[in-house]
This record gives sequence, structure tokens and C-alpha cells, in this order.
Amino acid sequence: MTDATVYIAGAGIISAFGSGLPTTEKALRANRSAIKPLTLFSLLQGIPLPVGQIDGLDTPSSLPRTHRLARIAASQAMAGGSGPPDAIIIGTTTGGIATTEELLRKLEDNKELYRYHGLNTVAQFLAREFGCNGPVLTVSTACSSGAVAIAIGLSLLRRGRARTVLVGGVDSLCRLTYFGFHSLQLVDRNGCRPLDENRQGMAVAEGAGMLLLTTKAPHGRHAELLGAGLSCDAYHAAAPHPEGQGAFMAMQNALTDAGLQPEDIGYINLHGTGTPDNDLAESKAVRRLFAVPPPLSSIKGATGHSLAAAGGLEAVVSAIAVTQGLMPANTGLQKVDPLLGLTPLASPAEGSVKAVLSNSFGFGGNNGSLVIGASGAFPRHSSIQSCGALAIHGYACLSGAGNTMATMEQVSRGISVAGMAGMDHVSENLPPQLIRRLKRLPRMTLSLALMAQQDSGLGDQKPGAVFMGTGWGALSETHDFLARLTASKEQFPSPTDFVGSVHNGPASQVAIMFAATGPNITASGGDYSFEQALLTADLMFHDSQRPALILGADEGHTTFSPLLDASIAPGTALADGGGAFCVSRTTQGAKCCITIPFFASSEGNDSLEAMLTSLAATDRPSRYALILAGIPAAMEEQGEAQLQQFLALAQPSAPVVRYRKFTGEFASASAVAAAFAASFLKSEVVPGNFLGGGDIAIDASRNTILVLGFGHFLTAMELYVDTQQ
Amino acid sequence: MQQLIQELKVKLIDILNLQDVTPEKFDENAQLVGGELGIDSIDVLEMVVMVEKDYGIIINNQEVGEKVFSSLVNLARYIKENSSRASS
Repeated sequence: MTDATVYIAGAGIISAFGSGLPTTEKALRANRSAIKPLTLFSLLQGIPLPVGQIDGLDTPSSLPRTHRLARIAASQAMAGGSGPPDAIIIGTTTGGIATTEELLRKLEDNKELYRYHGLNTVAQFLAREFGCNGPVLTVSTACSSGAVAIAIGLSLLRRGRARTVLVGGVDSLCRLTYFGFHSLQLVDRNGCRPLDENRQGMAVAEGAGMLLLTTKAPHGRHAELLGAGLSCDAYHAAAPHPEGQGAFMAMQNALTDAGLQPEDIGYINLHGTGTPDNDLAESKAVRRLFAVPPPLSSIKGATGHSLAAAGGLEAVVSAIAVTQGLMPANTGLQKVDPLLGLTPLASPAEGSVKAVLSNSFGFGGNNGSLVIGASGAFPRHSSIQSCGALAIHGYACLSGAGNTMATMEQVSRGISVAGMAGMDHVSENLPPQLIRRLKRLPRMTLSLALMAQQDSGLGDQKPGAVFMGTGWGALSETHDFLARLTASKEQFPSPTDFVGSVHNGPASQVAIMFAATGPNITASGGDYSFEQALLTADLMFHDSQRPALILGADEGHTTFSPLLDASIAPGTALADGGGAFCVSRTTQGAKCCITIPFFASSEGNDSLEAMLTSLAATDRPSRYALILAGIPAAMEEQGEAQLQQFLALAQPSAPVVRYRKFTGEFASASAVAAAFAASFLKSEVVPGNFLGGGDIAIDASRNTILVLGFGHFLTAMELYVDTQQ
Repeated sequence: MQQLIQELKVKLIDILNLQDVTPEKFDENAQLVGGELGIDSIDVLEMVVMVEKDYGIIINNQEVGEKVFSSLVNLARYIKENSSRASS
């Protein structure tokens, strides 16, 4: 564990302004708005709305637009370093959806063409491009995704788990976001005018903003990433907390993390989307935190709102502010709204800026604030918080067999639980009013969260933070939104389905249920989504007062699952489910503990050896009672070879069970496997029927269950009973 | 008018998925948004879409919207006043 300074060694940006830092700086100095009517795709009716669209990217490519934007910005950022980054963390909400929309319109059923749909494919594409064999994480917390990805990167570096990390956000324009925000009446037909008295909303945009972060002092003068703060409104699926409570907490947490006082901030880069509600709530939060607010502005009147990219773009703009002494104007502003009580910059200002606070807030009240400072402007501040193991107090799972009890009863008899439980079973523990607008995935997630919390026996101590992994997000809502858009000839898209379609929708519903105002992070890592959520929780959960929830869930969808998930063959029966764990940092009273000693690409030359080294390096001797191996069907050959190689190297005495035989094929099956492990540890026996042999007792000599993931990535989770209690 | 009210009750129960409400139990004079049914801003937008789709009336002004969706009877009244397609 280190507490090194985190430098911004490289930065890359592409937006409606164009590509690169010089172009961006020039446009900012000119106070020029790049917002203009959409031309990227044709509309069946109506006048094209103003958007922040990137021109000159028109060459046909099988690679989705999001991936191409990401590569452009990442290449610029990577020019600031040498060699591959140790890790990549990318925030995105659109992934390959723009391409998927075109394919669906052509009724294309060749699933190979949908291979870039998943959000995780953006970061994995960058990993291949830049030769990164370490952890590759994907964050999807709506419009704060980019900022949250950067915050996770900061934590990874401070913990010494990487020395260089490529971080940022990216999104492309697509029909889902264009019509989605329009259906919410959040788009200003006259362009975007943040903080203006007559503002009527945002301009949906696209872009990518990337940073190369490093703890190795680079040559020359560089901006530093001083701190980050996360919070959740836990208020509403789409509207911000009216008093800006979550925004206030995110900013305050970021300042605390950076060791700064409000008066140290020389410029605030506002989230400032231009919607009446956001700008009002944000202004209240700013005035509450700053007795005298510093110069401030939103650049979204110039670039539009590039959603997940916004946090990345604006981190780059913040770095420009501290290195070039340029504070951008609040482009588009004509008459400032007197209700806001703020004085945004009417024109670009020049002057020395020691530190910038940059805000990003998203649907579901997922908030992230960053503090970016000039090199060496502030004394080193120790922000590392020591924390113990993640102790599991309660767990739950859902499978084709139903809830935890039904699932474990069947599993202990050695019978597969693969399938899809009926909708009434999925939400049997939830009140009808709570779930009336929710489809399958958010229902599963809420049900899991409630079961895990109740199983924890922590009573009134409700979870304060939520870490969710989902491979595909809310497929029902996404499908239904696009289907109704097409069926109504683009006239009547559903606002409800749009709000529900965001990947972080389910986790933000959990936050509302428990008033969980701490970090709320949704990761989407394909077959390793739950592992990403666990890794993220380990990095970002420090609360000593309230427990946290770590979840993994995916829904089976008749149309989308066979089309999108490489492991699901068309025509086969679908399976889905998930697992949830109520955790704290105190082992007292806990059922067991969970760790993730290893997460890396399998493409490295010696990745299996590295995994073994990591497993041997834990401070507990490996006393395995059972090894659960996850090999996605699409990766069977490669995964099986990896498993055999692992067994040959490790020579474990514990039996190996390929858990997808029991769970069926779906992205977050490993969350269910982890729940199997927790259940076996609690009952102190691995049932013989599950193994196809005799019972194995859990005792001091066999107190750990290893859950391995194979395929594109190699992952290792350990669940163990703490015998030192 | 009574027929339109009945029609709207059935439509709202359907599009807002008000599972535990029946047309008989639906009080057309009760506060609609922010009331006991838990109807919020997203539901309002869903109702805006329905009103445009089924009655050809566009509501894109927040002030008008607040008045129209204050109760089901006000919604019915607004549709009746502004529509040529409403059945009663």
C-alpha cells in the first residue's frame, strides 16, 4: 500500500469541438458552441434536435462509434507514457448500442455482428490496442461514469495495485439516448443554456475524455489528481435531490479526500447540464459548501452533454485549467437565473488556478466529483484508509429454482438450478407499489438486496453503499424502449423504459430502498461483472458505520440473450439469476469473508503463474475445501485448457466443480457460485451430492472455497471462514 | 364525460401498472401526482405520451401539465375541451 502522488501524465479528448487538446483549448478560448442539429442518423419525423455531434468520423467500420472515439482519446492520453498501462478503467453507458440499433433495424440475426454490444468491449478493445494485461474494468453509472472510473483509478494507484492506469469516459450518439432524453422532455430545442433563466434542458452529445494516471513522477510539469468523492442521492431514478444533497456530499467527500478546504478551489467545473432541476440543485449544493464560490462555469452549452464521457472530458478541461490558466466560459448563457445565486463566467478567464473541482452527476443520483490540482501546489496529504477484509454478514441468491433456500436445497441434492424463475417468484418479497414500474433485472436486484440484508441479522443497520455487477444490464427495458420507438415510427418512445434501461438503474433502486447515500457503483464486465463489482467494492468501500451490498445479477431475455451473449446458443433454454452479499469491514459476527486476490487478462504470457503467486501471497495459507470453476460456454476449449494448466501447476487436493453446470449460462453466474460457497461455509459442509462423491467438512484444515473465472480473464475469489475469531 | 373518466381509469391502471388498483377503487377526484398511488414525474411523461397518442393532444408546457395531471377528473376535462377525438 502506497500513498503516492497521482500525476496526470497524459490526456486525450474528442468532442463536438474536434479532436485533441490544442483544438479543445482554442475552442474554449473562443467561447464557441459546437452544438448544432443532429445529422448522424436520419429521423422519421420532426426537426432534428440540437446535439453535440462529432464530425469527420464517417468512414464505415465494423467497430462501433463509441469504440472508435475511445481509441482516439486513449491514443492521445497514452502518448504521455511509455509501455502499456497496468490497468484500464472506462466509464460508458452506450457501448456498441449505436451499431446494435442499426443491426436490429435490418433484423440481422447473425450474433457475430453483435459482438461489440457489451459495455465491457470498449475497455477490452483498448486493452488489446495498448497491450494491457492487467485489470480492465468498465463502470456504468450513467452521466457520472467517466468521473467514477477516474475515482476508481485513483484508488487503484494509491493502494499500489497499479503504477499506471488509463482512465476516462466515452459515449457515442445513438437513438437510445437521443430519443430517451427527448422523451423525458429534458432537451432544449434552442440549444443548451446552462444556468440561464430561460434554460430548457440539455443537448445530448458524444465524446471521449481519457487520462493516463501514474504514480511515477513524469518529466515536466503535469496536473495532479488530488482527490475524488462519490455519493448517491438515493432519491429518485431520474430526478436529482431537490436540495442537491448528493451533489454536496460528493463535492465535500472529494475535498476531504484531497485534503483541501473550499477556499483552496480556484475554479469549479459544474455538471451544469442545462436542465431546470439539475442546475438548481447543483447551485444549492455549491452555495452550501462555498461561502464565496470561486469562478465557475459549465461547458455543456458548448460541447453538449456527452453522458459517460462528460466526466472524462471535463477532467481533461480541468487539467487544461490548471496547466494553462484557462477558466472556460459558461457558453450559451444570456441572462443568469437569479434563483441560482451564482455568477458563472460570462467569458473565458485567465489566471493561475491551483485546484479545480469538477462535478458529474447521473441518473439514479450517482454522483462523482474530482479535484485536479497544479503540480506541487499543495502539501502531500495522506488519504489511505486502512481497512480489513470484506466480511459477509448476509448472502442471498436467485436461480431458476427460486430464492436462496430453494436454490441451496436443490444444489445440495446435486441437481442443476439452471432456468428462469417466474416473475412472481422473482419479486415475491417486494411490495407491488415499489416494483410496478420495474421489469425483470431491477426486480431481481431488489429482491436479492432485501434477502441479503435480512440474512445479515444487522437489523436497523441498513447498507450505505452498493456495488453491482451486471453483464448486460436491463435487457427488457432496453428492448422495449427500442421496440416501441420503432413501432411508433419514432413518435412515442417510453420515458419509463429509458430511465429503466440504464445499467445503474437496479443499483440505484437498491439505494433508494435502503437510503444508501454512499458510493453506488455499477460495473459491467461481461462474464466477470460480479468480480468487477467485488474488486470495486474492495477499492471504494471504507465506511465503518454502515454495511455495503455487493451484487451480481443478469436477466435472461428471449430476444437479446441469445443474440448478445456468446455463451447462449440460439434455441437453448435460458437461465438467469444472481447473488448478493451484505458486507462490512468487521469480521465479528460475520458468516465468512470474501476477497479477490487476482483479476487480470488471460492474454499475458505468464498470467496463470501470476494468479498462483497472488493466491500464495495472501496472509492465510490456502486450505481449500472446494474449487468452483467458471468456464463460459463460448470459451469452453480455452477455459478448460486454462483450468487444466492451473491444476497442473497448483496440484490442489480439493475437488473441482464447474459451477455453470448448476447455474446455467449467464454473465453473472459467478455471483451465484459465490453464494453457493457462502452457504457451504455457513453449513460447514460441502454436500457430497454436489461433488458427486462424499461430503467434505469445513474445518480449520479446510476453511476456504476458491471461485475461479477462466476465459478472456483469469479471476480468483476466495471465501473463507475466519478461524481467528 | 363519465365514459371518458372510466376509459382513462382503465388506461392509467394499464400504462402505469397500478397493480393493486381497480377502476372502482380509482378516485377521479383524488390527487393524482404525488398522491397515494405513488405517481411521479416519469409517470406524468408516460401519461403525456398516452394523451398525445390516443387523443392527439400535445402537452409540453410544465404549468399546463401540472394543472392537467392534478387529478384524473381534470385530465378528463382537459381532454374533452381540447379534443375532437374523445368519445364523450
